[in-house]
Amino acid sequence: MGRIVEYYRADSIEDAVATARRLGSSAAYVGGGVELVLRRNPEVSTLIDLSQCGLGEILEVEDGIEVGSQVTLAAISRSAVLKCYAGGSLALWSGRIAQNNLRNMITVGGSIGRNQPWNDLVPHLIALGAEVRFFDGAEHRTPLVSYIDAKRTGTVIEGIVLPSGNANAKGFMWRFTATQQDISLLHCSALIDVAGDVVRKASIVFAGRPGHAALYPQLGQELMEGGGSQDAFESLARSAMQAVEVGTDHRATAEYRRDLVRAAIISLGDWMTGDTQ
Amino acid sequence: MRISMTINGTQCVMDVDPDDVLLDVLRGAGYLEVKGSCHAGDCGACTVLVDGRPVASCLTFAARVDGHSVTTVRGIGDGTHAHPLQRAFVENGAAQCGYCVPGAIVSAKALLDENPEPTEDEVRLAMDANYCRCTGYEQQVEAVLDAAEQLRKEARR
Repeated sequence: MGRIVEYYRADSIEDAVATARRLGSSAAYVGGGVELVLRRNPEVSTLIDLSQCGLGEILEVEDGIEVGSQVTLAAISRSAVLKCYAGGSLALWSGRIAQNNLRNMITVGGSIGRNQPWNDLVPHLIALGAEVRFFDGAEHRTPLVSYIDAKRTGTVIEGIVLPSGNANAKGFMWRFTATQQDISLLHCSALIDVAGDVVRKASIVFAGRPGHAALYPQLGQELMEGGGSQDAFESLARSAMQAVEVGTDHRATAEYRRDLVRAAIISLGDWMTGDTQ
Repeated sequence: MRISMTINGTQCVMDVDPDDVLLDVLRGAGYLEVKGSCHAGDCGACTVLVDGRPVASCLTFAARVDGHSVTTVRGIGDGTHAHPLQRAFVENGAAQCGYCVPGAIVSAKALLDENPEPTEDEVRLAMDANYCRCTGYEQQVEAVLDAAEQLRKEARR
């Protein structure tokens, strides 16, 4: 286990990045979450605390809603603004991830920055079309799915921007866990915009193997073309079982997870047709 | 490194190591009502309030709490001046071995401070971090609902 010898409180993102660059791999950001305590990296001897960098707000901005990287899951679940966004799915979901005392510790930035998108928050943010604002000496903004694919390190995540175009859409979440607090064996999130019998927009995300979450545009397209009949969802379930990347680890086999993919699509169908909430 | 925090209303200045966690610092300072168990954020025994919000003290760097306010179960009430929550835990048989109770009560306190009239589901969600292997949870949920009613009565007086 590594020995932390310095705890540095950055007073700005510029200060944080400059300090991280100076110290190289011996420094790590403390941006929320519990990873640094649970799994200490023997290389890391300095922690750079981001809590005083002004990244803790939820703001309505010109093109959507910006959630600062230091905002906790509990704060998201209480946010009046987010309770009105995409049917309130992000607020609802954030209030059920992990457990209460951890929801007050886990932040948006911590969830994204650990480069393990196979958690319960990131897939839903991908489905909502979130973009990431980050700083590496210059300001950047990129789709969350691209940020994760790039596996960036050394940057300070300033926050995410949820696009304003989702006013009529609703978020859907489904996960399978052995216990309520357990890590999901499979996670499915979607953003669906329905007008009457017409599905105008469908973004479907699965996290089906360790370290991986992905948007499946072909499944969204099939849902838009197939409508909301039971046959259409049966067909979509078959397609999803073939398309979604699933993996085996000590907790479940790929075959088991493939069956869970089907269960997720059926659950999505029930949700869209009003059979479940 | 030197940090300062308010613990149960008393200003404290402490010397801590950069990788000390809040649980160890509190217990080292004599706040033995804060219990350690899993040391992995799973069981909820070590839950304390930081600025009124429950956190797992076993996973919180003490340095991160510099300048903040910490409340343990002793800061909510004690044997002489028990809080209605603490009385309700006793009256409902919600404490058996007692090990989880300090964490459970601070979680419940945070809930009732924010939501004086919680539903049973809201109580269960607010206490989903607090494992109890004695009571089966039912008595704890009933205790929190009873305490909420008692506090509402007191507020109306």
